[in-house]
Amino acid sequence: MNINRRKILSLLGASPALLAGSAQAAAHKKKNESEAAAPVDINTIKVEGLNPRGMPPSVQLAPMAPRLSTLDGKTIYLVSDGFPGADHFLDQIAIWFKKNMPSVTTVYRLKAGAFADDDPKLWAEIKAKGNGVIMAIGH
Amino acid sequence: MVTIAFKDLAKSTAAKRGMPNLRICFTPHPVWGKTDAEMYAYLEGDDPVTGKPLMKEVIGALTDPLVPDEEKSGTITPSVGPATFVDTQDNLQKYYMNNGMTDFMSIVIPTKEKVDAMLKGTSHDPEEVIGELTPARGSFPAWKFTVKQVAINAVMAGAQPEYLPIILAISASGLPSLSSSTNSFAVAAVINGPIRDKLNMNYGIGAMGPFSDVNASIGRAWTMLSRNLGNCGLPGETYMGTQGNVINFNNLIMPENEKDSPWTPFHVQKGFKPEENVVSVFFGYGIAQGQGGKGSAVKPVPQFDQGLLYNFTPLTSIFGALAVLDPLVAKDLVELGYDTKEKLYDWLQKNATLTVADAKTMLFTGGFSLRGPQGKDLKDDDLIPRWPNKEMINAVVVGGQTNPYYQVGNLSYARSVSIDKWA
Repeated sequence: MNINRRKILSLLGASPALLAGSAQAAAHKKKNESEAAAPVDINTIKVEGLNPRGMPPSVQLAPMAPRLSTLDGKTIYLVSDGFPGADHFLDQIAIWFKKNMPSVTTVYRLKAGAFADDDPKLWAEIKAKGNGVIMAIGH
Repeated sequence: MVTIAFKDLAKSTAAKRGMPNLRICFTPHPVWGKTDAEMYAYLEGDDPVTGKPLMKEVIGALTDPLVPDEEKSGTITPSVGPATFVDTQDNLQKYYMNNGMTDFMSIVIPTKEKVDAMLKGTSHDPEEVIGELTPARGSFPAWKFTVKQVAINAVMAGAQPEYLPIILAISASGLPSLSSSTNSFAVAAVINGPIRDKLNMNYGIGAMGPFSDVNASIGRAWTMLSRNLGNCGLPGETYMGTQGNVINFNNLIMPENEKDSPWTPFHVQKGFKPEENVVSVFFGYGIAQGQGGKGSAVKPVPQFDQGLLYNFTPLTSIFGALAVLDPLVAKDLVELGYDTKEKLYDWLQKNATLTVADAKTMLFTGGFSLRGPQGKDLKDDDLIPRWPNKEMINAVVVGGQTNPYYQVGNLSYARSVSIDKWA
């Protein structure tokens, strides 16, 4: 059976405009509900993340020492920092110099302490008696 | 001179110490373990980085005149990048990961709101400098860090504000979870005090497994903050662990099961009061299972002391031993006469021995030097202590009493830090 809503409203004393209004409100409500239900793509939103890094220390630049004009007749210290194999490797360097540059004097030393420990006594000796250093770090 | 395996490390370390232009020559890797002839062949060959004849390069390093960059002096302040990063969540996840700021798993993006919420977990000023972290003390410059920077890392790890005091205490210990060594070290933290129950930390079934967000996020935060606040964990530069260690993902976080333990809690052994909240950190190689091993089938009381000795066999003496015992094992040890942990440590230290012959083959023999006066008259079948003193042996009670099992870590106790101080 077809229902004539306009006639019914009119019989009730309600204006047809009300019908149009209620229909419009219903359509508007339905649109709002459907928009509210639609998920937002979170990846369209930009966010601000903080930098998690700490504070590195400042670095004091250390200029390199002037170079030797020649190794002939010079004393080169061969210094091991204690890493396994460094001593034997430096032995081979000493052999190489003896074979190829016999005028170079090599002096072997094991740096004191652990790998990264300072050895001011050794540096003082090298400054006083040596001309250069080859240091075997590892490994 | 450095082997090529350490090229990046050598250059970055020299730069961080003010010598970005230090003249470094490289050899093939390794040098260690090579014969004299093989090492001499390195000298006769080329530098594997430059491709130039090695010894010619060495001589040039000593004699070629300096260029202007090598003569520079002054101060450089390294940059760690901008204070914030703005992008979509997906892009930020990639950005943090690709720039070495994560553990290669998704993080909680540390927005200002989340960090502010995290900071409510402590009464300390966000700008307070807590301390320093470095991948290896003495070898790398130490970085300083603040309460806020720890909080940022705690957010990233998925921790809650109420966990922050524990994370701050761990950071204050100065022990990073990622050491630079080729050894692939691991770390552990024992938690004691009422905070364990307050936060519902897991010290029962599965305590050392993925069964508690508290345990897991605190451990994860330790690695996160080690990377970001100490510049640790950069492979080839500040991390040289040749195989890596799975423990580093979120470390060994062990709240002690104080209520089921027959012994004094670990922190009380270290001089704290029972009601204090304390984290005790350990450092070493890792941990291995001991269940079902020697002594475990003996009746009526399993000989877990013998079992521990047996499980000490593969441990190196460079680190101590940490016995992680289910409460059932601890109770059985009490029945065997070890009514205190100290008695157990004493017995274990005296009986954990190895032959001189075995010690001679080991790279690390800890505090016992075979070359010293104490070693000069020893014969190969003589026994020497694995550890020089009982202070290198520790025990903690953890577990849910489903079975009398235990694990043994080659881990040394480093220090204990108050958690309450950071509340």
